[in-house]
Order: sequence, then C-alpha cells, then structure tokens
Amino acid sequence: MFETLQLMAAGFANALLPMNLLMMIFGVTLGIIIGCLPGLSAAMGVALMLPLTFTMEPETGLIVLGAIYCGAIFGGSISAILIHTPGTPASAATAIEGYQMTLQGKAGKALATACWSSFWGGLLSCISLYFFAPLLAQLALKFMSAEYFWLSLFGLTVIAGVASKSLIKGLMSGALGLLISTIGLDPITGTQRFMFGHAFLAEGVNVTCALIGLFSMSQVFILAEKKIVERAKAAKFTDKIALTKEERKMIRPTIIRSWLIGNIVGILPGAGASIACFMGYNNAKSFSKNKEQFGKGAIEGVAGSEAANNAVTGGSLIPTLTLGIPGESVTAVLMGGLIIQGLQPGPELFTTHAGMTYTFFAGFVLVQFAMLAIGMLGCRAFAQISRLSDAILIPCVTVLCVVGSYAIHRNFNDVIVMFIFGLLGYAMRKFDLNTAAVVLALILGPIGEKGLRNALRASQGDLSVLVGSPVCLVLIALCIVGIFSPLLMNMFEKKVSGTTLADAEAEAEA
Amino acid sequence: MKMKKTDIGVVVFMYAICAFFYVHMLQLQANSQTYPRFTIVLLFGLTTLYLLQMLMNAKKHGVESGVDKVFDGFQIVQFFVCLAMVIVYLLLMKFLGFFVATIVFMLAALTFLGVPKVHTLIAVVAINLLVYFAFVQFLGVKLPAGLLF
Repeated sequence: MFETLQLMAAGFANALLPMNLLMMIFGVTLGIIIGCLPGLSAAMGVALMLPLTFTMEPETGLIVLGAIYCGAIFGGSISAILIHTPGTPASAATAIEGYQMTLQGKAGKALATACWSSFWGGLLSCISLYFFAPLLAQLALKFMSAEYFWLSLFGLTVIAGVASKSLIKGLMSGALGLLISTIGLDPITGTQRFMFGHAFLAEGVNVTCALIGLFSMSQVFILAEKKIVERAKAAKFTDKIALTKEERKMIRPTIIRSWLIGNIVGILPGAGASIACFMGYNNAKSFSKNKEQFGKGAIEGVAGSEAANNAVTGGSLIPTLTLGIPGESVTAVLMGGLIIQGLQPGPELFTTHAGMTYTFFAGFVLVQFAMLAIGMLGCRAFAQISRLSDAILIPCVTVLCVVGSYAIHRNFNDVIVMFIFGLLGYAMRKFDLNTAAVVLALILGPIGEKGLRNALRASQGDLSVLVGSPVCLVLIALCIVGIFSPLLMNMFEKKVSGTTLADAEAEAEA
Repeated sequence: MKMKKTDIGVVVFMYAICAFFYVHMLQLQANSQTYPRFTIVLLFGLTTLYLLQMLMNAKKHGVESGVDKVFDGFQIVQFFVCLAMVIVYLLLMKFLGFFVATIVFMLAALTFLGVPKVHTLIAVVAINLLVYFAFVQFLGVKLPAGLLF
C-alpha cells in the first residue's frame, strides 16, 4: 500500500515536469481541434500523432496520446453545441440539448456544462484506473502461453462483435487481420511467410502504418467522395462561459451517475464513448426533476452525455493496459503506441515499468485539468476552427499521413503500406466491415500465435493443453460471451437507461 | 433484413484473399504452415457462414441492390481525381523531394476542391512549416530530398 502511494506521488512529480506539462497542453489543444472538426475522429487523431511520440520518453508519449484522446472526446461537444454537428460520435447525444440551448442564446452555458462535466467525468474515471488496473494486472500474472492465445481471441471476439453492424462481418474483419498478421518471419522457425521477396516485411506489416492507413487515410477517401459543403456558421454567443453555483449543484448527481455508467461501459471491452453518451443522456432524463425540459435545452442532458463519454476514457484504459484488450478503436491505437515504445500491456507495466505507468496515470489526471482550463478559455476560438472545410482537411490530412508513416523507419515502403491500408480501410468502411478489428488482430495476432505455438510445443502437440487450466476455461467462456456481447450490451443499455442505443439514436434523429 | 448484392463483392474478396494466401502457404515448410492455415480456415469458415446468412436473408426477405446505400452521394469525379492526385503525389515525392511535391500536391488539390486562394496559401504554408518543425527539427527525420535536387 505504502509502495503504491510512493509510486503515485513519484508519478505526479514526474508528470509535473515542464516537458510533460507542455506536451499535455499541446495534446489537449490538438485533441480538442481534432474533436471539434466533424470530419475527424479521436482514433484518427491519435493514429496520426503516433509517429511524433517515437522519440519522446514513453511516459511523455503516452501522456500526449492520452491528452489527444481526452481532448478529442470533449472537443466533439463544441461543434455539437454550436453547429448541431457532433465532432465525434461520442457527442451525438450532446447535440440534442446543447444545440437547443444555443438557439435560446445559452451557448456559453452549454459549453461550460460540457467542459465542467467532461472534466469531472474524466477525473473521476481516473479513480477506477488507479484502483482496478493493478488488480487486473495481478490476474494477468496467472497467464501462460495457452491463456494468451485465448486472451487474444477474446479481445477479437469482443471488438468484432460490438463495434460492427453484423457480427459475422466483424469476425471476418478480425480473421482478415489475423491472416495479415502472419506476413513476415515465422516467430518460431524464422521462415519467410508471405513476404514475396520484400525484406521490409520481415518484421511483419508495420502496425503504425496500418493504423494511419486504416483510420486516417481511409478518412481522407471518405471525405473525398462526399460533396464539399460549407459548414453551418457557428452560432455567435455573448453569454459567459460559466456556470452558477446552483447550476453546478443541480448537475452534480447527473455527473456522478454518468461517471459510473461511463466507467462501466469503458471497462467493458468493446463498448465505447458513443454508447456511453446516449446512456448518460437517457439516465439524466430518467432521473431528472425537469423531464419536460428535455428536448428543449436541458442542462442535465448535456451534463449526462458529456460526463459519461469522458468517463469512458479512464475506464477503457484498464483492460487495455492490464490485459492488452482495447475496448475501442482509440484505445487500440493507444495500445499500438505502447507496443511501439517497447512495452507490453500486462503485469510488467505495474512492476518493471511501474514508474512509467504511474507517471502516465498522473499525467492522465492532470490532462483533465488542462482540458478544463483550455476548454473554458478557448471555446470561442475552437468554435471557429470547427467550421474548417473538408476541402482543406483532405490534402492536409493526406500530407500528415504520408509524413507520419515515412517518419517511422525513414522508409518510403512504409508510405506505400499506409496507402494500401488506406484503400483497404476505405473499402472496409464502405461495406460495413470493421477496421478496428483488423488493427486489433494485427496487434493481438502475433501474441496469440506465439501463445498457441508455444503451448502446443510444450505439450508436444496435445491440444488438451488449450483447455487445461481454469483460466483457459474462463477465457473460453468469455470468448463465447464476447461473441454474444451485442445482445448483452443491448440488454445492459435497456436496464441502465430504459432504452437501447438504437432507440436513443432514432429518438435523437427525430 | 434483405440480402444486399454488394455483399457478394465482400464474399468474393474474402474468398480471393483465402485462395491467394492458401496457394502461397503451400510453399512454406510444413511446421510454418500451421498458424497461417488456422487463420485461412477461420476466414474461409466465417465467409462461408456469411454467405449462408446472405442466402437465408435472400430467401426470407428478398434481395436489394445495396449500391444506393454504399455509394449514396458519391462524387465520382472528385473522388477519383483526389485519388489520382494522391498517387501522383507519392510518385512525385521520389523525384521532386518531399517539400516540393507537397507544395505542388496541396496547391493542386486545394485549387481543385475550390478553396479560396488566400486559404490555400495559408494551408500550404502552415502544413509545410508544421512538418518542418515537428518532423525535421523536432524528430530529426530526413525527408526524401528527391532525385532532381
């Protein structure tokens, strides 16, 4: 206990170093800009900035990525409130009440509510990060080769199931990713596999290039196929970006409930901020004393949605850092960043690399304060940026994708790989396949392969080793649950908020 | 839910991938074939499962094109010109170097997409400065200089 407290204190001392603070401010600002631009997503922003973190200290790099993540989730609310276009899907529910408040001349209040609720949602989610992450990491200590095989399959089944419209298509995407992950040298025998004479493929397909291609370059193609339309003017507002003491008191219970919802959703692999925001919104509506205000600009609606989506951030880091199972595409990219720094998710992060991990945690706490300050002070400026046309974004993002992928190994082949994955990602998104599952498969594939082959080698080919331990059996059961997770999530949503996400989205559209 | 004809393309693509990797897998040593074979069988099995689901949907609910949904609002000229510009940009980079190719690409793309001249200039200058300071100065990345310079 005392040791943990010492690590926490040391983490804060490190996170408060000038370089880390500077990078925090940079990350949050960049994240908010990315979030408030309706054409860009949090995952895309984090993927695009990954190469910039290569030369940084691991903790600084992770703090930057975490700051972009949190900033982007909050940033989505700015365009949702001011131009009725959510910057990211995580702010879809915020647009319902936020824009109504803007129409009533209360845009400043809506933005302040979003900022305040996001801050508390994110900050409170750090509590679970501090408490549950080390506990779950202890569990991972019991994992042997066979367990790692099942764990990687579990991660895939969950993300493929929840994040796809069709379960089978999600699983197909994961299987495609697993197949792509076999490109390169065989990890056991060293034989060349599917390299077609290209030496640069020896270490397999570069995950960062694939990430940039699948999330960022594919988005360029998505933007390029749509008619370029001028974005609605952000509403001008003269009221102060502030909340009164009474208003803060009024939204307090909503924030606490949304924090719990967002945190649970975040911890559950496969569920993300876009689900949490509707659940937080619906919950706020169910418990509100002013139900009639909902749909007409209810401050609690904005608070419920924003606290929930930011509470996901801390929660979703728990399975990512401890078990290596990212809950959604952004955390899959973050995990990519972790692996690129030479760190493996799991117990080692809390033993060998505990100093780095606790610095990141402390940085994540401080990021929330930076988000509050930058959000409150910069809302008016960000509102103008949110109008930036897709016509400008298309070439700018292309250049950043190219330079980002080139910077990894200073090799043009990586740019080609990124471009191919960009086309693949675009086609996959058009046909409702799941790009996040491919990324996760590229990350988890080698872990699973190593686990499977080492287990079989140790047992001299006896397949019973794969079901030989209680942990294996639990993981197999979880894989089955993972496959049926879309049905379970629907039931969970209904239980918590009285409606499903699909119903809430339909209501929002109406 | 009706079967979408566009999903036939998805199934064909997945089978083609399986066939391509299977043929190349056969050239590997026996002990290196195990895991790739597992992933090929997995993808093949799931694709077949999806095909069966499609056929069941077709029988129960009928068939629809799906093209209108997939390509709703698709700007064919804009898309392919942008795609061509990106390809030319990547080729040009080898000859002109990163910064010259980037300036040419951005000017061409922004002009084609109808961005006002002032905004175009600002975007070109801002992105090049950003890349220079973030990647060249901060990360020390030596960007392609090109064969002509």
